Amino acid sequence: MCRSWWSFSACAVLSVTLIGIARSEVTTVEIVHYFNVQGQQDGLAAIKSDFEAANPDIKIQYTYVPFAELLSRTLQMAAVHKSPAISCIDNPDVLRVAKAGALKDISADVTKLSTWQDTYPGPKSAVTDGQKVYGVPIGSNSLAIFYNKKMFADAGISSPPATWADLTEDAAKLTKSPVYGLDFSATNSEEATWQWEPFLWSNGGKLLDLTAAPAKAALQFWTDFVQKGSVSRDVVNWNQGDVANQFISGRAAMMVMGPWMLGQVHKSGLDFGVTPIPVPKAGMKPVVPLGGEVWCVSKTDEKTEAAAVKFIAFVQDPARLEKICNTFNYISSVKSVAVKQGQANPELQPFVLQMDTARARPEEGGANYPAISLAARTAIQKALTGQSPVDAALSEAAEKIKTVAEKK
Amino acid sequence: MQTVTPIGDAKDRSGLAGPVNFRALKKRAGRSQRWFTPYSFVLPIVLFTLLFLAYPVIYSVALSFRDATIDTFVGGDMPFNGLANYQQSLSNPSFWRALLNTVLFTFFSILFQFTIGFLLALFFQNEFPLKNALIALLLVPWLAPILTAANTFKGLFNEIGPFNQIGHLFGLPNLPWLADPRLAFIAIIIANIWIGFPFNFILLYAGMRAVPLEIYEAAKLDGAAYWKQVSHITIPMLKPVTVSVLMLGTIYTVKVFDLVWIMTGGGPANSTHLLSTYAYQTGFSVFNFGQAAAIATVMVLLIVLLNLLQLALQRK
Repeated sequence: MCRSWWSFSACAVLSVTLIGIARSEVTTVEIVHYFNVQGQQDGLAAIKSDFEAANPDIKIQYTYVPFAELLSRTLQMAAVHKSPAISCIDNPDVLRVAKAGALKDISADVTKLSTWQDTYPGPKSAVTDGQKVYGVPIGSNSLAIFYNKKMFADAGISSPPATWADLTEDAAKLTKSPVYGLDFSATNSEEATWQWEPFLWSNGGKLLDLTAAPAKAALQFWTDFVQKGSVSRDVVNWNQGDVANQFISGRAAMMVMGPWMLGQVHKSGLDFGVTPIPVPKAGMKPVVPLGGEVWCVSKTDEKTEAAAVKFIAFVQDPARLEKICNTFNYISSVKSVAVKQGQANPELQPFVLQMDTARARPEEGGANYPAISLAARTAIQKALTGQSPVDAALSEAAEKIKTVAEKK
Repeated sequence: MQTVTPIGDAKDRSGLAGPVNFRALKKRAGRSQRWFTPYSFVLPIVLFTLLFLAYPVIYSVALSFRDATIDTFVGGDMPFNGLANYQQSLSNPSFWRALLNTVLFTFFSILFQFTIGFLLALFFQNEFPLKNALIALLLVPWLAPILTAANTFKGLFNEIGPFNQIGHLFGLPNLPWLADPRLAFIAIIIANIWIGFPFNFILLYAGMRAVPLEIYEAAKLDGAAYWKQVSHITIPMLKPVTVSVLMLGTIYTVKVFDLVWIMTGGGPANSTHLLSTYAYQTGFSVFNFGQAAAIATVMVLLIVLLNLLQLALQRK
């Protein structure tokens, strides 16, 4: 159109004017997040341009904050009534932040979405308090076993472990200094509780009932690995990044890990497979904890809130959702989308299979979960380092959890 | 025009070149400005101190008397709860463990940092080739980002890491350095000594250089042996430097956070927490801001107390 110099200039002036007019009515939706991996950033940028093209009256503005600061920042901004329109909050924290009064109940809009009806019960429970809904999961992740195919072949093991007995046997077989059979993270952070939960829950145990037999068996199971030497004693100091490094550098034949690490393991060129978390006895179902972030709408003004909900609904389009979950290495919280992802990618399949029974962590203790998790991981560390026997460590933790849980 | 004063006028020049006449300046400033002129000079630093130093400290202390958790934080109605935060902290064995750890950590860190720093400083009083290059190298631990140092030490103390490999040469068994509560505590102290000794070294080195050589010469003439010179000249002459080195060292060490947070996270089983990491965990992992503030206040009191103690000891 703008062929000649004159018409080009005219077009330019016209479009600048139009943008100017449009801008005066633009609503800005600020989204605070801690996604710092390149793939995630690209994914966010793609949603932004798609959404802004479809909704010229809304502008998306991303703000990155480090993981450790997101929660305190969200609370601080809420305290001074300057909340961003949307915060991407880690799912176990959502109900806590909602309880503090920082989030808007968006149940009226969310329950209308077809994808909401198709959302797995685990992710749903992480954002629901009674009839109130405080967010929509961006996607979920959880844990499974990554295994080194070459080491399995060398040790003459034909199939990955499916039960606890298999895992114990395989881990012992694969241990050959300096290689450990298995690796998990038991460091002094939420990571320890989170990595132990698949074993606790699959065995029918509960954080709120740590003195019961299933919990004891689950902690004994972990402790035995360390005592027999098929898991390094250093796991009490390894965060999940350290665990992945051990696996990638060939120091561990198996690791408990989530889908966010797939990209990094692939990059290393290692020949590996992924298998669901082994269950106590054949025929049982693995129950894993859910990770993943949630789009949460903060209490702001009506116009911004409406725009924020519009954005969230836009992302819920199944085709878009699949694309985003793939770039984020998430399993979609929406079943039909997750199933598709699993069919397309065998490495995601174990995670997809586990979604049906996966549980949200706040199902144990609600807003008190962080304090409960702290008590549980202290018990884990005490047992693994041999500071106290499994029984004693767990009863001490149970005592602490009792006083915590009594607080509201 | 006659009224315009030409540049370089004799009267003006004499005013510039002569000694500054303060009384004249004051008069020119006018009566109304007289009283606050001096204050306006200190105003920036007073504002800075109030805003960036006093406010956070006072806020933190005030927070320690309130029931501040996630639930009460957003509403802003953190109710006053007196000494409850202190009561709860003091009745928690983890707190006492962290307090004891902080004291032991500070004591052993400073003891070794100072001793190593002092001996090195003595050694470097001699002249030898490559001396300055070596001094620069010795400062590296102090300059290295703690993040890097802590992660490196985490690797060195790994069960299959270099320290255990060296241990094997001397017939030592594989030690679970960071997985055993006692060894982990020793490990973080070792790492902290490595980070802190250059600071002691360089200040003591500079202090020793400032001691007049004539005193040593006089002592030599009187037949004082080397160690006599050290104990009767160097150490007494260094006293002012020693006081500041120990004081700053104590403050730095009580405050250590990142090193421990990265190396052990306060684990295994909360056995290596210092007050700083324990306060952080209470604040940002359990979200009890009020109790975290109470712990931080105790930490500040501890620093003040240790320094008073040191001053009193030095005065003797």
